[in-house]
Amino acid sequence: MVLNEQLHEMNPAIKFLVVVVSMLTLAWFFNPWTPAIFFVGIVLIQLVCSRINWKLWLLMMIPFVITAFGYLWTTILFAAEAGGTVIWSWKHIEVTDEQFARALSLSFRVIAFSSISLLFAFTTRPVNFVMSLMQQFRLSPKLAYGIMVGYQFLPVVKEEFVQIRHAHRLRGVGDEKWWWQRLFGMRRMLIPLLAAAVRKAERAAFAMEARAFTGEPRTEFFKPVTVRFNDWVLTALFLTLLISSSILGVLLT
Amino acid sequence: MLRSWKLKEVVLMSVFSVVFAVVYLLFVHVGNIWSGFIGPIAYEWIFGIWFIVSIICMYIIRKPGAAVYSETITAAIEVMIGNAVGPRLILSGLIQGLGAEAAFAATGYKRFNWWVLVLSGVGAAVFSFAYGFFVSGYSALAPSYLALMFGLRVMSGAVIAGFGGKWVSDGLLATGALRGYAISLDKRKPSVD
Repeated sequence: MVLNEQLHEMNPAIKFLVVVVSMLTLAWFFNPWTPAIFFVGIVLIQLVCSRINWKLWLLMMIPFVITAFGYLWTTILFAAEAGGTVIWSWKHIEVTDEQFARALSLSFRVIAFSSISLLFAFTTRPVNFVMSLMQQFRLSPKLAYGIMVGYQFLPVVKEEFVQIRHAHRLRGVGDEKWWWQRLFGMRRMLIPLLAAAVRKAERAAFAMEARAFTGEPRTEFFKPVTVRFNDWVLTALFLTLLISSSILGVLLT
Repeated sequence: MLRSWKLKEVVLMSVFSVVFAVVYLLFVHVGNIWSGFIGPIAYEWIFGIWFIVSIICMYIIRKPGAAVYSETITAAIEVMIGNAVGPRLILSGLIQGLGAEAAFAATGYKRFNWWVLVLSGVGAAVFSFAYGFFVSGYSALAPSYLALMFGLRVMSGAVIAGFGGKWVSDGLLATGALRGYAISLDKRKPSVD
């Protein structure tokens, strides 16, 4: 048992459930401390229990920090009445400490949500996630393998996208000046892409049926994804963090 | 619900989901760039784009569940591609899909004309706004600002998802690629009314 492998080996479906529960819980809190403490905790857990590329992690956080900043100032400027003492005023705008705390809370919430989302994204293999959803949450095999087929087509779709764009360039279309022209131009790109997708989907479905894939629910799997004791330990760890950040956040305000 | 589905319809839905997952992610970036400057309202006017797959899939496949499944799978594929918004997308996809599905369910999955599609876009907008109100804490915003956000989102849902979805699907139908799906079978049937 290696400590920094734990998050990578955690059952994906359970990890998904943990992320969802954390988000839905954090959404009830409007104090700045709860999401801030939660964020710090998540980063600490990730530092100890995973081996990820932190440079990439920082890079991925940038857009969220920008979004969080957007939340901060909109929520200050267009705040709902919340009471409290006025700490800052300019012309008609008055900001109370209560409003500022809420704005800060919402932007920390963006950061906290992103940290747990990145934790999931950095430590989960996509195929395992779908397999685990099928085996632990009884996702229909028809749907699960359908998703897998779609996922396998991703590189093909990308290739086709480039091809169609080249074809358009050759004929001199697709270099519109205005954004709304480009928006309408999207249809020209989408339709050949979707038409090809329809044909590929049909071929793939025939091939699956020809190999006796019925999509019936099953109990035995080629690659079993199991739930181990460590999954429950990690779940308990996340829940402890969630509960303690909720309680601490309320106590500190 | 999935029992009445043919495998080729399931696969069609998921391949469409891949195409739109890429489109959706592109638009997340468009929204992100703006949101730093103008806040969460940056996403509102383009919000309809994120509902479009449910309307297209339902319009083509015409079976109960087409809107919910397609939107949820698209979200799942966005997560699989490894975008940073992560697993919470699946939840919002599910809720948007339910909103879109509601309009079709209310008309008994019998009508697929433009106003049902528009209504479905509006349904997705309303559901997703209610969810956003909770998860993103919109209650901290002033009611007038909220009303502006809501209005923009509903408009966007109606125009981009409703009319846009029909526009794209009709274009696709004209290529002849959709032979063998409910959309072209219904076109061939002599109209009753």
